[in-house]
Amino acid sequence: MTTSSRDEKLVLGIESTAHTFGVGIASSAGRILANVNYVYAPKAGGIHPREAAQHHGRVAARALKETFEKAGVRPKDIDGVAFSMGPGMGPCLRVGATVARAIALKLGKPLIGVNHSVAHIEIGRLMTGCRDPVILYVAGGNTMIAGYIDGRYRVFGETLDIAAGNCLDVFGIKAGIGPMPAPEEYARRGEKFHPLPYRVKGMDVSFSGLLTAALKLIGSIKLEDLCLSITETVYSMLTETLERALAYTEKKEILLVGGLARSRRLREMIEEMARLHGARVYCAPPEYAGDNGAMIAWTGVLQLIAGQTLSIEESRVKPRFRMDEAEARWRELGL
Amino acid sequence: MLGEKIEVIRIGAEAVVSRLEWNGLKMVSKHRVPKPYRFPELDKWVRDRRTLHEARVIMSLRRLGIPCPAILMLDRSEATLYLQLIEGVELKRILDSLPAEELERLAYELGRIIGRMHAGGVAHGDLTTSNIMLDKSRNIYLIDFGLSAITDDPEELAVDIHLLDRSLESVHHKVRASFMRSFLRGYAAAAGMSFLQKLVEKVKEIRSRGRYVEERRKRH
Repeated sequence: MTTSSRDEKLVLGIESTAHTFGVGIASSAGRILANVNYVYAPKAGGIHPREAAQHHGRVAARALKETFEKAGVRPKDIDGVAFSMGPGMGPCLRVGATVARAIALKLGKPLIGVNHSVAHIEIGRLMTGCRDPVILYVAGGNTMIAGYIDGRYRVFGETLDIAAGNCLDVFGIKAGIGPMPAPEEYARRGEKFHPLPYRVKGMDVSFSGLLTAALKLIGSIKLEDLCLSITETVYSMLTETLERALAYTEKKEILLVGGLARSRRLREMIEEMARLHGARVYCAPPEYAGDNGAMIAWTGVLQLIAGQTLSIEESRVKPRFRMDEAEARWRELGL
Repeated sequence: MLGEKIEVIRIGAEAVVSRLEWNGLKMVSKHRVPKPYRFPELDKWVRDRRTLHEARVIMSLRRLGIPCPAILMLDRSEATLYLQLIEGVELKRILDSLPAEELERLAYELGRIIGRMHAGGVAHGDLTTSNIMLDKSRNIYLIDFGLSAITDDPEELAVDIHLLDRSLESVHHKVRASFMRSFLRGYAAAAGMSFLQKLVEKVKEIRSRGRYVEERRKRH
């Protein structure tokens, strides 16, 4: 049983944008009381939205029960129920939203709709202690560079087609070595670099041409060299756009979030770039780098404090919910 | 490095611009600096390609009669362009203090230049008041083609107008309305009214997407 003062708010958070069904509980004191995540792993190929949604439906009750047990709190101690409203796959999002609505109605507590991308940033800020970073959000389905300006997280740059993680995963699978981190592991034994399309437009990037070119080279050059070439190219593009954003905004902190933030080589490259600008690099710890319930719960806490809650009528999911459509009023409160 | 370096004028995210003199000829060098984080061969390739691209765009502009610094030399081994020095000021520095008539004349003239450039299939890519120079006789020159594109995609061309408007809105908001009015008149005179209307529609669309908005403004 936790000993929380009466002023300490507790929020239950539910994540279900893609392959992860996650539930977490966070407190306004910045504590994560529980973080329980079930990941749907397809036997072959990518995520099928309907199958992922069915998975989420199956594990939801169990995940909730475990969360309350781990946190040592009763459902009625909760002050709000947060869910990821988007962006993500419609069928998956609807499972999380339905569960959240049901709990909020049953308990008579406010419902909080959280932007999934913003949640990645907020859990990163909480865990690393950085204040006002330029954010590189790289994952299987997302690639963007963002930062807080005037009440919102703004997107400075993003991919114009596929995500960086997706590019490397697809390459690894088609090359027969499996998704990340396999391509990066092979790259460590690579020696010869082959130029591949390098597409940076201002602060935007494009990976589809690069992927097509790399796939065509499978079999004709050493796989280790090809892995070296594709990973170096992808990471350099990301680092360069991040550098532009850093120079433009004159911020002094960089926060790396999302699954690809686990890449050692990408981090190394970004740290080297940051040194040129006297900036510090922060990485979300692995447990919180990928999709998880705790990040939704914590962002829910911030929104609850800032008064950003929803009625049931307003709680429809937004599969294309952009980060810059979401207000971040807690930042004005200095949170 | 060619000649004696006199002073560094600008340090951007990818290039360092310095003013220098060689046998009495004043010029600037634009050096794309190596990035230690990039794999050496990739780094060399990227810097070389961009330097060539910028030189190529400047040559297209010359053929279109768009005022921009002349290329004096290209040093591929150093990823450095040597360009004519434009002695003057950035429009950004004096825009707010110009008399109304002069402001309208310059805006109209800039509109004609950009209209002609767009009709010729070149987008500047970073058209802000700090990338527009005025020489001592107040002739306009465009500089910094690092993000430019040879394109006839209305979207990319519209971004130019959008960025210019944004840079006025953020730092020169008092003169924005009259500047843009004259600018668009000049633009229509060079590129034609229907071409302009098509782009203005695109600009509205870009603006409504909320993209390219706050972020670029921070540069000033």
